[in-house]
Amino acid sequence: MSNTSEPVARTQSGEQAQEHKQRLGGLHQHQLQEQDDIETVDYKMVTFSLGGKDYGIDILKVKEIAKFATFTYVPNAPPFVSGVYNLRGDIISIIDLRVMFNLPAQRKPEGSAEDGLILRLDDLMIGVVVDSIDKVVGIVSSRIQPPHPIFGDVNIKYISGVVEKDGRLYIILDVDRIFAKEESASEKPERLPAAVPREEIGLGAYQDDVTSQVAQGAVGKNEEELDLEFIREGLVTFKGFYPDGVADSWLQRRYPEWRAERKKLGSDVQLTGEEDADEFLRTFYSPYSGRFWGEDYIEGVKALLPEEMPKNISVWNPGCGKGYETYSLATVLRMRYSSHILKIWAGDNDLLSISTAPNLVFGADAVPNLYEPYLVEAKNGVAFSSAIKDAILFEYHDVTHTNAVPNVDIIMARDIISFLPPKQQASVLNEFSDKTASGALLILGQNEHISETLGWQHVGSAVVNAYRRL
Amino acid sequence: MRVEYINPFVESAYNVLKEVLSVEIVRGELYLKSTSMPVLGVAAIIGLAGDVEGRVLFDMSKATAIKIASAMLQSMEMEPIEELNDMGKATITELANMITGQAVTKLHNLGFKFDLTPPAIFTGDNMEIADTGVEALIVPMDLPFGKIEINVAIRERN
Repeated sequence: MSNTSEPVARTQSGEQAQEHKQRLGGLHQHQLQEQDDIETVDYKMVTFSLGGKDYGIDILKVKEIAKFATFTYVPNAPPFVSGVYNLRGDIISIIDLRVMFNLPAQRKPEGSAEDGLILRLDDLMIGVVVDSIDKVVGIVSSRIQPPHPIFGDVNIKYISGVVEKDGRLYIILDVDRIFAKEESASEKPERLPAAVPREEIGLGAYQDDVTSQVAQGAVGKNEEELDLEFIREGLVTFKGFYPDGVADSWLQRRYPEWRAERKKLGSDVQLTGEEDADEFLRTFYSPYSGRFWGEDYIEGVKALLPEEMPKNISVWNPGCGKGYETYSLATVLRMRYSSHILKIWAGDNDLLSISTAPNLVFGADAVPNLYEPYLVEAKNGVAFSSAIKDAILFEYHDVTHTNAVPNVDIIMARDIISFLPPKQQASVLNEFSDKTASGALLILGQNEHISETLGWQHVGSAVVNAYRRL
Repeated sequence: MRVEYINPFVESAYNVLKEVLSVEIVRGELYLKSTSMPVLGVAAIIGLAGDVEGRVLFDMSKATAIKIASAMLQSMEMEPIEELNDMGKATITELANMITGQAVTKLHNLGFKFDLTPPAIFTGDNMEIADTGVEALIVPMDLPFGKIEINVAIRERN
């Protein structure tokens, strides 16, 4: 299994690295101009290559550079432990980083020495085997960039940063964390040797808590549970979808269904690329995503709207995309509360989608008849009348940044919270509470659920999933 | 930031820079930022008031500022500058004023009424800017003289 998914993962990370390189390249140039005279090297690292890419380790952690000729093989050790080595009387263990990170290793002819480093960590000396040692590179530590959340070959938690020097991009490994992990990893059961390196391959920040569970919980986990862990990771990598939060109950339902589907097709249960992830998420999205609502959804929303509303109704619609959702909601509210003043703050962080939203023009047959009173003729089709348009303010905005919206009566946030890392999910939900008073309505995606302990009572129907502020 | 505001700023920055400097300009990807941001070394700032509140910041390194000011001065058959003197600062300020002025004119034609404050210029090392309660749109412009970042932070008056 790991063999089939590998090439995909690798090309992806290759592209990301490339993109990263370009971005860093640009940054580098401007910083050069700025820092010409104040540049001082305050960080040195030993650089080496692993699987064709450049890596670095803080020179203070490196005791010496060595060639390892003969290891003593240790039976029953994890696959990335090459063996032990006698370094002038000290016995140190030798880890093959390529195996540990599941990177392709250049096979050396039998009997020739392997290049490596000897690291000194707190009270531990450890040898690591790499493809080849390059040189010592001095850099300015302020130039070290944080790693990209989906960097690829090496788990992000093992990377302390990325730095560009003379046109080469070096990934700086955080050896303290790698080998702190290695100690607990030795408790992993022998029957899962292939799974060990796979789990080292990193998939973003949210994984921090999951990996530790995997590391400790692997004992006794069956194949299904491991596959599920892998699917969680795949959803994060390929779609930026974080199932550990509002969408957790959906994932639990979706997984057995998916397993059965894939088994029937004879294909892999795990997600090997974006297409698989899209297919997995097919049943996640709420009804009428990216198009105007049909009558059933309109009626569903209408049924949830309270009798009494303040004269000025304020609505917040983060993640509005191209605006179909916002226009539909505005129409429903106009129908229901014809004499109120309506104001909708709609935002999205996708510049292309949101740019088209204020001047959306569509074919008259794209909407059910219900919308007709609110439409006007436009060039190449129909558009919403000013009664609807003037009520909406479309903003290029990221919901995880400061939200300048005032207190609102209705929040519509379908299928956006699930695409935020768990920490941000929590802060956005807090923000929802901050911006509302008792009685406010929160409409979430069809498969997104929040705990009632947050002060929201579930009031949704089978059609619309909604909560009311207590 | 309201979608309608984005294009006027991007277009007028591109047009004014191209016209005034007669050089090739490459517009970078736009993005949003909300935390405090480092400022490159020379920052011209213009406040906006009216239907909205906020400011536009033109951020560049000192070397870039000198090159741009020199190019502008030379185009008017004046002496180029060696360091960022009063003339240089006034020139950069004027550039900021031209761009913002044109953007605000475009917005006015779309029905949005803004007023401008007189521009101010900041220079120094290791500066940062933080706006509370508003996120900034960054419009990076790459010029042969270096990079200018146009940092627009505007919010509606509620």
